[in-house]
Amino acid sequence: MTTLRFKTALLAGVLAPVAFVFSGCQSAQVRNVDASGPQALNTAGINSQDWSNAADQLINSLLTSGALDRAPSQPAVLAIDRVLNNTQLNVDTDLLIKKIRVALTQTGKVAITNTMGLGERAVVASEAAELDEMTTGKKAKVIAPHFTLYAKLIQQVDRLNGVTQNTYTFQMSLINVKTGLTVWEEDREIAKQSKKSAVGW
Amino acid sequence: MKTSPRLLVGSLLVAGALVALSGCATNVNSVERAQPVATPNYISDKRVVTDNTLARTVRVNSVNQDTVSGNLLKVQATLENLKNNPRTVRYKFEWVSDTGMSIGSPNESWKTITILGRETTTISTVAVNPRAVDFVLKLSE
Repeated sequence: MTTLRFKTALLAGVLAPVAFVFSGCQSAQVRNVDASGPQALNTAGINSQDWSNAADQLINSLLTSGALDRAPSQPAVLAIDRVLNNTQLNVDTDLLIKKIRVALTQTGKVAITNTMGLGERAVVASEAAELDEMTTGKKAKVIAPHFTLYAKLIQQVDRLNGVTQNTYTFQMSLINVKTGLTVWEEDREIAKQSKKSAVGW
Repeated sequence: MKTSPRLLVGSLLVAGALVALSGCATNVNSVERAQPVATPNYISDKRVVTDNTLARTVRVNSVNQDTVSGNLLKVQATLENLKNNPRTVRYKFEWVSDTGMSIGSPNESWKTITILGRETTTISTVAVNPRAVDFVLKLSE
């Protein structure tokens, strides 16, 4: 009887740590990470770090070019034109455009109009302007943009020896609305290689 | 048709030499003007090294600054890979205002750069906030 109890205790002693280890594997582990930091997941798609990187490079190029400084008045008024997503990814292009808008607004050199263009529309502001028109009888003053910003995302996929390379191209152009001329353009690429595991499915 | 031990050893040595030589193939040779015309505005910097391995791998040779768009600070650092193999490092610029306050910026994020063997390259960024007067460059492996 004593031997049986000893064996049971021994078995329990062995099983308990095993059960603990397995329960540890099943528990949900959540941690907060910096979205654009080193711990952000790197995938074959465009991750948060890539959006930040692309936005940073485009902003640096635009500000260094001095194109915005040549507006007839300061701050330069900018309208957001189309942002074409020609990638296989179903992503919201505001992940790029919003970063650029925020950065340009912070410089104090750009005012972004929300009453025209294909970007964000300030619906309430437009309604408020209409209401103001009706109340005062005066036409609301709309400021025409000096520039429009146009962007395009392109993806090229190359495969060789089991390695897939996704090259994402971020193209951006600043157009002077008076002349229709492009006053600044930039084209930046981010290439990501991934290899499928030989074992697995 | 037995393979002699000498032939086997010889083949291994040749294979080893080929591997070693192919490792060197990523090094970068460069040519530049002997007397540069550019006059960079180099700044004196203070360095805090907490990762000696990284400091022995990638060195910051110099940091220079410029002002763009009238009042925006632009900083450029020249990095050198001290090893023969490509190295990937992460870097981040942080901005500080004239009152010493850290300025959060949308382009203040970790970025990755791969530097080929013995290559010297530059990283740069523009402070989008005109209040930025100082910076901190962080490097991580």
